[in-house]
Amino acid sequence: MGGVEDDEPASKRMKLACRELKGNPNDSLLSEPSFGSSRDLMARLLQSEEDEVIGSKGVIKKVEFVQIIAKALYSLGYKKSGAHLEEESGIPLHSSAVNMFMHQILDGNWGESVATLHSIGLKDESTVKSASFLILEQKFFELLDGGKVMDALKTLRTEIAHLCASSNQLRELSSNLVSFSHGASVGSSNQVNLRAKSRPKLLQELQELLPPTIMVPERRLEQLVEQALTLQRDACVFHNSLDREISLYTDHQCGRDQIPSRTLQILEAHSDEVWFLNFSHNGKYLASSSNDQSAIIWEVGTNGEVSLKHKLSGHHKPVSSVSWSSDDGKLLTCGVEESVRCWDVSSGECLHVYEKSGPGLVSCGWSPDGKSIFSGVNDRSICMWDLDGKEVENWKGQRTLRISDLEITRDGKQIMSIFKETAILLFDREAKSERVIEEDQTITSFSLSRDNRYLLVNLVGPEIHLWNIDGDINLVAKYKGHKRTRFVIKSCFGGSEQAFVASGSEDSQVYIWHRGSEELIGKLSGHSGSVNCVSWNPVNPHMLASASDDGTIRIWGLNSHLQQHKKLQQVHSNGGSMAAAYNGRT
Amino acid sequence: MGRLFIEDAKGEKVLMCKGCRVDSASYDDIESKEFQGRYGRAYLFRKVVNIVIGSSEPRFLSSGFHVVNDIYCSSCMQLVGWRYEIAKEESQKYKEGMFILEKERMEKKGG
Repeated sequence: MGGVEDDEPASKRMKLACRELKGNPNDSLLSEPSFGSSRDLMARLLQSEEDEVIGSKGVIKKVEFVQIIAKALYSLGYKKSGAHLEEESGIPLHSSAVNMFMHQILDGNWGESVATLHSIGLKDESTVKSASFLILEQKFFELLDGGKVMDALKTLRTEIAHLCASSNQLRELSSNLVSFSHGASVGSSNQVNLRAKSRPKLLQELQELLPPTIMVPERRLEQLVEQALTLQRDACVFHNSLDREISLYTDHQCGRDQIPSRTLQILEAHSDEVWFLNFSHNGKYLASSSNDQSAIIWEVGTNGEVSLKHKLSGHHKPVSSVSWSSDDGKLLTCGVEESVRCWDVSSGECLHVYEKSGPGLVSCGWSPDGKSIFSGVNDRSICMWDLDGKEVENWKGQRTLRISDLEITRDGKQIMSIFKETAILLFDREAKSERVIEEDQTITSFSLSRDNRYLLVNLVGPEIHLWNIDGDINLVAKYKGHKRTRFVIKSCFGGSEQAFVASGSEDSQVYIWHRGSEELIGKLSGHSGSVNCVSWNPVNPHMLASASDDGTIRIWGLNSHLQQHKKLQQVHSNGGSMAAAYNGRT
Repeated sequence: MGRLFIEDAKGEKVLMCKGCRVDSASYDDIESKEFQGRYGRAYLFRKVVNIVIGSSEPRFLSSGFHVVNDIYCSSCMQLVGWRYEIAKEESQKYKEGMFILEKERMEKKGG
């Protein structure tokens, strides 16, 4: 078996051998299996390109590259191809010592394999010890399974004992002897379970233990490819799809065509400026509110077409915000420094009016269980009501300003509002603790991410700040470019994995940034007045809605959707018996 | 116009826009009362609220050459004064970034 006991240093020996081989590049070695001729292969390897690098940057070592390809071929099951690659390249996957080691393990030559282990070239003594332990443990269990109790005991005492990491380990192994003999003596009819794992499995475990320079790790090539794909995906600022396949043929780069950029619909039912809008949690409805003192519930059809469902009238002041209950069955609307109204979404009926005698209400929000509603008051307090209108709780002191959003976390514990010009209060009503986000300029509005871990804060600048509020509070990103001088302009998260930030702007455009890189990736024109608020459909990453001073709401979608919409219009105007054939997407 | 964002000026005594009675500045932020505006006496402020800043213009004032921006009440868009962007003379540089509010356009509140 191999020449591993030679005194001469291996490299010298190999170089002598290769001088003989030099003249025969295409000899009969090609047809021999890799294990046996690996020594000769090593010779050719050392002669030629041990330090050769490939690739345009010169950082890939050719030997390593070929070896991980060979490894991938073997793990795909292409043994012949793997062997052929080792032959043709002259680059063996494993050194001869390692090949021998692998054979010995699979053949169960335990003693020899441990000896080979010591000459494989491991620098770390503890690795040698751990690997030896694994091998001898296998020997022990195989002996036991074979009924050779005395041999197993001998192995345990003489070979394994000194390798045990702790006395517990030794005790555990010993207990196997006891339970084995018990099982045998009772003469149970049960099948004694084999304790030893399969030898290939042992080899796999040993492989994981040994350093990669000795044995190329399993699936290394797949790992490298996955790393590259992940990096590409993360770098793709337009990535906005739920199920887009990534191909290996070209670098993944979604084009702009994945971001909503075209007006698909203009909704004109409000008679004055539209100040706020928000999609329902299930993405099937959109609620908007206006200076015309009304709110509207819109329905998003299965083909993505939005239509008016209910007009909600009753407020005597402009409606500044709306809030969807968790099950999207009810909607709250807030009249500016007036009252909060609760509406039934399917019937459009006003279920209740919440108000205080004296102070006006300035914001509204649902508790996640749908049993209570919260509201900011213009006396700076925040109160909580039950569905019948009974005031259940009142948090006094400076909790909110007259112009402020109100957000409640999904667990119902934290309530958030702007309580100072430059600060947001996050108070835990259960733990009765408070946290604060301090800004360096005046805050105009904010919104909470769907996972409740981030807050998007709009500042007078104008500037938008992204804060992490999960655990330690810290500023994560800043978004700039949009315009604001006089109005409350709102922004929101959106898109697939909430990877984007969108905002309104006083220059009548919708601004879209890539959340991670802070890069401005879209400016959507169309409105003829300040865009006050935007909302991204939580279920359809390709649908965005905007509310404007021009009295309209625009529904934005992908360029490709626009082409489909146009076709649909054509079909209808042709007296469409084919109308049903268009089975668009949400 | 959209939903106006209106801030409250801090402090006991405050100046409000005469046209719409929205806060413009706090007396706490007065830097000097000795200025002259287009319409008479004017005050120099370190900080103002609810103000929209117009575009930069070169202007020769009694104190020398400056680049200024006219400023307007964000609520009613009335011209209420100006902001010093750049002052040419060294002795005037302290005014850079500060605001002039015309007394004639303002109303006192509190104090």
